[in-house]
Amino acid sequence: MNRSSIIALLIFGAILGYFLSFGADGTRKFQAGVYQLIAPFLTSGSGLQKQITSVRTGLKSLEELERESSELQVENRQLRATNQALRDVEREVNRLRHALNYRERSVFKLVPAVVVARDSSTWWRTITINRGKEDGVEGDMPVVTDEGLVGKTTTVSASISVVLLISDENCRVAASVEGTREQGIVGGERVTTGVTPILDLNFLSKQADLKPGQKVYTTGVGGVFPSGLLVGTVKSFRVRELDSQGQLVPGVDLSHLEDVFVVTGRK
Amino acid sequence: MIFFVLLLILVLIAQIAEFFIPALPWLYNAHIYIVPVIVFYGAVALPFPLMLALALYAGILLDALTVQVIDTKVEISLGWSILLYAVLAGIMHGLRPLFIRGRWEVHCIMTGICTSLILLAQYLMITFRRGSVYFSPEVWWQIGGPGLIAMVLAPIAFWFLQWMGRITAFPYLPERDRFE
Repeated sequence: MNRSSIIALLIFGAILGYFLSFGADGTRKFQAGVYQLIAPFLTSGSGLQKQITSVRTGLKSLEELERESSELQVENRQLRATNQALRDVEREVNRLRHALNYRERSVFKLVPAVVVARDSSTWWRTITINRGKEDGVEGDMPVVTDEGLVGKTTTVSASISVVLLISDENCRVAASVEGTREQGIVGGERVTTGVTPILDLNFLSKQADLKPGQKVYTTGVGGVFPSGLLVGTVKSFRVRELDSQGQLVPGVDLSHLEDVFVVTGRK
Repeated sequence: MIFFVLLLILVLIAQIAEFFIPALPWLYNAHIYIVPVIVFYGAVALPFPLMLALALYAGILLDALTVQVIDTKVEISLGWSILLYAVLAGIMHGLRPLFIRGRWEVHCIMTGICTSLILLAQYLMITFRRGSVYFSPEVWWQIGGPGLIAMVLAPIAFWFLQWMGRITAFPYLPERDRFE
């Protein structure tokens, strides 16, 4: 090993030691800084991805048109394409109107946010949203949609935040089952295989008798999540040696999130 | 040096691109990782000090953008990915003589194995922190799947990066002539 390699190794070791000495706060601050640096790329990348998806959808509809009616004239196809574009706009308007209605009737102060990126890691379930400290968002704030609970914020930079989804094993939510006195802790599974993640409702009493379809809501215990938010619906239930466990389907379709709200307080 | 800077830029682009590449539901939600392929190419193409610098840079990015801090708990401390990248890149660097002889296939296979090793190491650290050992076929697929994908991606990526090295007149590559 030559001299420059030894010097490089020493410098590398020193920098590595410096990073390894970071605690939770230091790590969070460093992560927020890096996220802030790449925020413009994530936001523009998200826009680009939407455009590509939109073009792909357009191409698909044209292919279908060609297959279904080859004798249609060019003008007719243009009209159909225009109709398709208008339907997309209508869907977008309906979606935003729906979101706006929810914001107005909600008892919480909500900051609307758009999902700009999804989890890029195998072991954590997260999304990145386009709101940060500048919009009043802080760490450990609940994130919801009109359908129910999504997760909570973790790393927050000036204009971008990371949201830990309820499908992550680390996101624990105190919850109660509709129509019963049963309370438990909801958490995600370490490994998800299907498109729709499954949540586990643990620490239920042995006497619990949950039925598929029963709804599970947050209890407000723990201080992060307010009470009354829909977490999911019971899919299955089993009694174990010491307690019983329910499996839930999340109330929110976590794999197709577009718009979310960060709960910053009560109105 | 231009080539090294280009590799740094490519690592950043790849790391951001990974946010927009969805997991593959038909492969047990395995993710596609491009950054390790670039880093492990850099490990065989770059001199030792630059290889360490690339591992450091990629490790910092990986930790900063993926590792989660839950309340006051850091599951994988900042710096572990740097160490993982450096150790694995060091092994790849040791296989550099084969690469110079034009035996790329060994490095393509090794890239896949090393990608899976990073995921395995991360999973073991998480398992240790969370306190319950859980291995299932799905876990193994989520560890092995990205490795297989990296193995498939590696020949194309290596060819592209080699071409880039040549057009930027990277001085570390022409050693190949000595072996031919």
